[in-house]
Amino acid sequence: MSWMGLTIVEEGLVAADLQQVRLLNVSDAAPLWSFPTDPQKARVGTFYVTPAVDEQRVVVASQVPPTGFLGQPKNVVWALDRKTGNELWQFDDAAGQYVEGGALGGGLFVIGNSDHNVYALDAETGALRWTFKTGYRVWATPLIVSDTVYIGSMDHHLYALRLSDGGVRWDFQAGGAFAATPALRNGTLYIGAFDDKLYAIDAQAGTERWRFASANWFWGSPLVYADTVYAVDVSGNVYAVNAETGAPVWPQPRPLETPVRAGPVLTEDGSRLFVGGQNGTLYALDTKDAFVVWSSESEGQVLSPPVVSGSVVYESRIPGTYRIRALYVDNGRPIWSYPPVAEQPSK
Amino acid sequence: MFDILAYPLANLMLLLYNYLGHSTVLAIAVLTLLINLITLPLTLSQQRSAHRMQELQPELEKLQKKYAKDKERLAQEQMKLYKEVGINPMGGCLPLLIQMPIWFGLIGAIRYCIPSTPLELFQFSNHIYKWLPGVIGLVPLRSTFLGMDLGAPPNPAQWWSYALPILVFVTTWAQQKLLTPPTAAKTQSQAGAMNQQMQIMMPLLFMFFTLSYATGLSVYFVLSSAIRVGQFYLMREGQHRQKAEDKEQVRPKPSE
Repeated sequence: MSWMGLTIVEEGLVAADLQQVRLLNVSDAAPLWSFPTDPQKARVGTFYVTPAVDEQRVVVASQVPPTGFLGQPKNVVWALDRKTGNELWQFDDAAGQYVEGGALGGGLFVIGNSDHNVYALDAETGALRWTFKTGYRVWATPLIVSDTVYIGSMDHHLYALRLSDGGVRWDFQAGGAFAATPALRNGTLYIGAFDDKLYAIDAQAGTERWRFASANWFWGSPLVYADTVYAVDVSGNVYAVNAETGAPVWPQPRPLETPVRAGPVLTEDGSRLFVGGQNGTLYALDTKDAFVVWSSESEGQVLSPPVVSGSVVYESRIPGTYRIRALYVDNGRPIWSYPPVAEQPSK
Repeated sequence: MFDILAYPLANLMLLLYNYLGHSTVLAIAVLTLLINLITLPLTLSQQRSAHRMQELQPELEKLQKKYAKDKERLAQEQMKLYKEVGINPMGGCLPLLIQMPIWFGLIGAIRYCIPSTPLELFQFSNHIYKWLPGVIGLVPLRSTFLGMDLGAPPNPAQWWSYALPILVFVTTWAQQKLLTPPTAAKTQSQAGAMNQQMQIMMPLLFMFFTLSYATGLSVYFVLSSAIRVGQFYLMREGQHRQKAEDKEQVRPKPSE
């Protein structure tokens, strides 16, 4: 099991909130649908990882606890109808746990697993189309761009695979594990690794363009806006780097003084950067000078990336009284918290 | 709670992994050996105490028969006997208690270096001593050994991985068997029955523990028990040899 995940769609916020997968109304967190409807009765396990969404479906993963004396936990990928939340298909062939979510593209759902494999499933039926075996666990969400899947593995390689059959176009070796999703801009992939480096890699050839040294691992995915790459290392140092040259944009990285697992997110105009910390604080930084504009603390740890939509930022946390909170991007004022008090377990 | 020991031990394991050809099993083996060497005075004291208790069993059984109906007197006579031969019946417990945090720390270290969950890995990410040579980029350690993932619990897809928890049972049982006075187990006393139960319960407990945790821990348990069994044999042989030499010196020479 890892952490819960959020995805924003037109009709609401899709949350894999450990107990259930829910589509929440963004204005008041009212559930529009829930899967399963009764988590106490349905034996579907714990839902986590960021939901992948396309026009028809929401795809998430869960771990079903073992039954019997020598039972093994079952690791399941679930595809749900985006409109109703009804189950479309499930896939439970993988031997290991899913740590991060998958990606939808080209009629396939692609996801990495701790059993060292990358699985490509038919998005319509859930049938297995191909697998690709890496040298170690795959704890990263892939990036699908036209006919290529980019996915990092704990075996220190970033692979570019053909979407049609999983064949290797190229692979790039770093000095540490990859657990992030690359960001793509103008033919260059940006991704950090567990060797304390942020890499810029030619997306066509798989060759290194530049590398930027940091203080610790990059686990969260970087993002690119205009000419700047933003990334956070696990020690909580936030970096802004020139996308062309790899030179630092800010004179110093911004230390948040809390471990950070997930990558940053930006407002649509690129003016504000949000980072969640293990200390349960969500930080809002001004992208011009890395100044912390506001921070909002609550119970639990923020381990998955927040999502931004318009003037609202949504963050998820484990464990905590509230698993999801919606806050105004301008001042961090809370709008709503989920679950509502009535649904919280009595203490 | 044991992280204060687990983090330095995990970093030591990274260093060993770096210098031992990037072999996780070798790193676990050498680390287990080093920890056993450091705790050797404590384990020897515990094992000596157990061995002396074994030697004392015939005397204790005589007392049990003699005072079968008078428990209070039996306890007094037993304490007297312990005092006469200079044994503290609780003497084996203290070294064990001192060692426990070290062993829990070592278990934590293995779990941090070959984590089975991302949360364990994330927790360790800010406790790696970057100044140690060659440790950057090592974690999580490559953990495939004989086709098994040492970072994952035994599973049917790698059916042979169940051999490790079975080995854990066998080696822990052997260790328990050696450290428990054999005659005590045969007696009908409450302590004897408890000893007998412990001989089976402890190995079973360890086996079930390793069934649900990373197989890397099984490697550590097997090696650790094997080392202690070896230590016990060496210590017992040494004591027997010493006794034989003492007898030889005491026996009058023919010329005298």
